[in-house]
Amino acid sequence: MSLAARHLEANGISTVIMGCAKDIVEHCGVPRFLFSDFPLGNSAGRPFDAASQAQTLELALELLERAPAARTTMQSPLRWSLDAAWKLDYLDMTKLTPDKLAERRKEFDVVKAVAKTKREAS
Amino acid sequence: MTTAQETKTVFAAEHDVPIPYMQRTRDYYQALGFNPYRWAHFVDAPFTPLRTPLARTRVALITTAAPFQPELGDQGPGAPYNAAAKFYKVYSLPSESVPDLRISHVGYDRVHTTAADFNTYLPLARLKEAVAAGRIGSLGPRLFGTPTNRSQRVTIEADNPELLRRCREDGVDAAVLVPS
Repeated sequence: MSLAARHLEANGISTVIMGCAKDIVEHCGVPRFLFSDFPLGNSAGRPFDAASQAQTLELALELLERAPAARTTMQSPLRWSLDAAWKLDYLDMTKLTPDKLAERRKEFDVVKAVAKTKREAS
Repeated sequence: MTTAQETKTVFAAEHDVPIPYMQRTRDYYQALGFNPYRWAHFVDAPFTPLRTPLARTRVALITTAAPFQPELGDQGPGAPYNAAAKFYKVYSLPSESVPDLRISHVGYDRVHTTAADFNTYLPLARLKEAVAAGRIGSLGPRLFGTPTNRSQRVTIEADNPELLRRCREDGVDAAVLVPS
């Protein structure tokens, strides 16, 4: 998505990305980025919370209007929860035994094979 | 004379930072025995200031969500990662519609969210409200979906030029891009 924003922007279309993966988007470098410190999948606000979604969009629109230069990141003030413990769980290696790892590897091989078949058919 | 209460400084928890996804992903796939992924990286970024006030600007919505295809297995809330539901070409749908788009084909946080409310990854309804309120001039006639799972080369050589072509066809001046 970051590459898409860069391409559109370089060709005269102003862009803003709404996202949750701060390091990945900033590593690429994009014109404008509204960062929500939420679990991946909630780039546009909290579930079943239209007010949070509207606020998130409004911040993105303000960035579109007012960012002074490229690589402007704004962090949404919204919190996913008061307790930040959820941030420790994503791909938490401490919870993976060697057996679990082997199982995950097998699953990943299956996923890759499915994706490869689809990609080649498309 | 009353004294105003003083706000005390309280530090946040050490782990209360944006998740270092690149590091966690590297560590994870290394432990699984795979080569590390190399994320796209640039030093500079292009910049095109908005040419017209937002209230007169036509905006496109661009998503990585996938059209629901019932024959391709579970794509519902909390579904396991579903590679069969992936798509490999840029698609367009009428902005006027309420499209059924899902994110079972990407690695969202399945521990802490279920993708039960599509408005968390597709702000189409909120964008329509912003148009109705006069905040945005209009939405482009189509929203666009773009694949996430191709090689960076295919993204750059095929998908991005196609997205640009469609944005130009629709006469949009700005785009809101929402990775899921």
